Amino acid sequence: MSSKTASPKLHSAAWRISFWASLAFAFSAMLVFFFLQRFVEQDIQRRSDAWLSGEVEVLADVAERTPKDTLYGRVVGEVAELAGREVPNKLPSDNNSNDSVFFLQRGSDDSIQLWVGVGSSQNTLSAILHTKTISDQPTDVRVQGFAVPFRVASIRLDDGSRIYLGLSERDELRVLRNLRIRFLLLWLLIVLFGFVIVFLTTRRMLSHVRRITESASRIGHADLNTRVPTTKRNDEVAQLGLTLNRMLDRIESSMHQLHTITDSLAHDLRSPLTAIRGKLEMSLSASAHGEQAEPIVSAIEELDRLTEFLNQSLDVAEAKADALRLTRTEIELDELLRVMTDLYEPSMADKGLQIRLYNADTVTIEADAALIHRMIANLFDNELKHLPAASTVTIRLQLAGDSVSLVFEDNGPGFSPDVMPLLFERRVRGRDSNGHGLGLAFIDAVARAHGGAVTACNREKGGAQVTVMLPRVTGTNGGSLIGMVHAAH
Amino acid sequence: MRLLLVEDELDIQDFLKRSLEEAGYQVEAAPDAKTAERLAIDGAFDILIVDLGLPDQDGITLILRLRQLGVRAPVLILSARRSVDDRVRGLEQGGDDYLTKPFALAELLARLRNLLKRNNPAGNEATRLRVLDLELDLLRREASRSGQMLQLTPQEFVLLEYFCRNAGRVVTRSMILDQVWGMRIQPETNVVDVHIYRLRGKVDSAGQQPLIRTLRGVGYVLKDR
Repeated sequence: MSSKTASPKLHSAAWRISFWASLAFAFSAMLVFFFLQRFVEQDIQRRSDAWLSGEVEVLADVAERTPKDTLYGRVVGEVAELAGREVPNKLPSDNNSNDSVFFLQRGSDDSIQLWVGVGSSQNTLSAILHTKTISDQPTDVRVQGFAVPFRVASIRLDDGSRIYLGLSERDELRVLRNLRIRFLLLWLLIVLFGFVIVFLTTRRMLSHVRRITESASRIGHADLNTRVPTTKRNDEVAQLGLTLNRMLDRIESSMHQLHTITDSLAHDLRSPLTAIRGKLEMSLSASAHGEQAEPIVSAIEELDRLTEFLNQSLDVAEAKADALRLTRTEIELDELLRVMTDLYEPSMADKGLQIRLYNADTVTIEADAALIHRMIANLFDNELKHLPAASTVTIRLQLAGDSVSLVFEDNGPGFSPDVMPLLFERRVRGRDSNGHGLGLAFIDAVARAHGGAVTACNREKGGAQVTVMLPRVTGTNGGSLIGMVHAAH
Repeated sequence: MRLLLVEDELDIQDFLKRSLEEAGYQVEAAPDAKTAERLAIDGAFDILIVDLGLPDQDGITLILRLRQLGVRAPVLILSARRSVDDRVRGLEQGGDDYLTKPFALAELLARLRNLLKRNNPAGNEATRLRVLDLELDLLRREASRSGQMLQLTPQEFVLLEYFCRNAGRVVTRSMILDQVWGMRIQPETNVVDVHIYRLRGKVDSAGQQPLIRTLRGVGYVLKDR
């Protein structure tokens, strides 16, 4: 079971549905996360920009109010350093060395008047000067020696100098990175969870559909009493099961109807036939022999042909409706063919025909013995009736997996093209045929009833070929499935 | 031999009764299951012929009922149905036999004889069969006529044996197919006839009195007189 279903599982509808559903879900979730992240990023930026603008104003205020003496640098530096401690998004661990903030005052002659921060003040200044800054608007500045850029706000003092307050974007980026990692993990989790849920649900639903399909295909020709499983729920799948069962009810009742009709037809015709035959036989023994007996004899023979025709046409009619009733027993097909060959060999030899029988080893099938006997007799009769003298009939019995193939081929004239498309129809016969034209239709009917199939064609080298495929054992899915497929045509 | 014939079709009942009486049976006829049950309990019958399609009851139900009532005689079931019912098969295994309509009288008589013989096995089976100057050794599978050995194939021997066992009686093609080849088929061609011609060619060689006679429309008979 597992080896059989492992590969189809990948192609199963459940897998496909969950794959595409998860893909759509993953895409939209990703989109949502992307916009969320953008929003957070902008919000963080706005917050740090607000802080920067506020602080730079405070510092400018302090710088302007503080007298420009020797203490100026210390006072402003101190204030700048204090400001740096209130950096937003800051990690609590690294409060000792604060390298995320710098303060720089530039004179109107581009000289560094005051510097608070780590790293080289010159590098920072040149980086600032190389970056186009819009006054009073924080901008990104990349400083040599720092991996992450600084967000720098500036303000111009009345004395022509400019102060810059820079905040490293390191913390901001870290926060965003953490956010992204969490988003990603969450996203994976959600998608996986969604996939599993969708997969399990659809598989559960579809397994019910599969069970319905399996049991529907098991309900073959004869076994019409069983029904597909139904559930108590009232969903689409349950509706499917109920609908199928209602359909099976109707099929069963019309099949029953057909059986009643064919049975009563057979009965109503056979009873008078029996009476007629009996009376003919009695008058035959009474009128003794000679001239008088001849018409009675031929009447009896006609009657027997009529009876056989009646039997076969009813069988063909039932088989065409997939309603042939079978009583299956084990049949040794190879032995049966040997006996049949023995039976037909003298007649064939009389007509100058040769039979060659190629048998596989013991081939047993479960089939209706009476029907199989008649089917094989029909195959022999066909050859005997249609072949010109000096032809050879080759019969091959082979095992082909779960099936048995029985091939009758000859080197005669083959099927004439005008009957070729109608071979399996009732009442089709070749020009020289003296049968009642049911031969191949009957063979086809019997094969179909057993879940097999018949093909007939002309061989390339000339001559006709009829191949009968029969499943060896019944009750397997394969056998009845073939029957179903065939019935669908 | 007392025989109970249960058949509702009066036409069939009529000709069967006459033919069976001609064949030496004492026949009582019943048109329905009720009459049949009454007759079967009253009179001791050696054999029964029961049609499956009776107006008041199914033939098989009747047979099972008669068995319950202690009727032990074998039954030949006549069926106008197309397929042989599983229950009929069950009865067949229980020692009864069936025949589908329409049938040849000869076959009906042969099946009746077989049923009677099966119920009264006459001691040891003979190992030799003799019909006029024809002699069959069943153990060595050899046949001779007037002391002259016949060169028969195994199949031909079985066929001749069947003829000898039914010497003087008509055997039909379907009986031969059933008994010798073991299949109930109706070939559209003369397959059986060809076997008989061949056998006749060996048994009735030139200058001898022909033993195997053809009764056209009926079958064959091996002369025993």
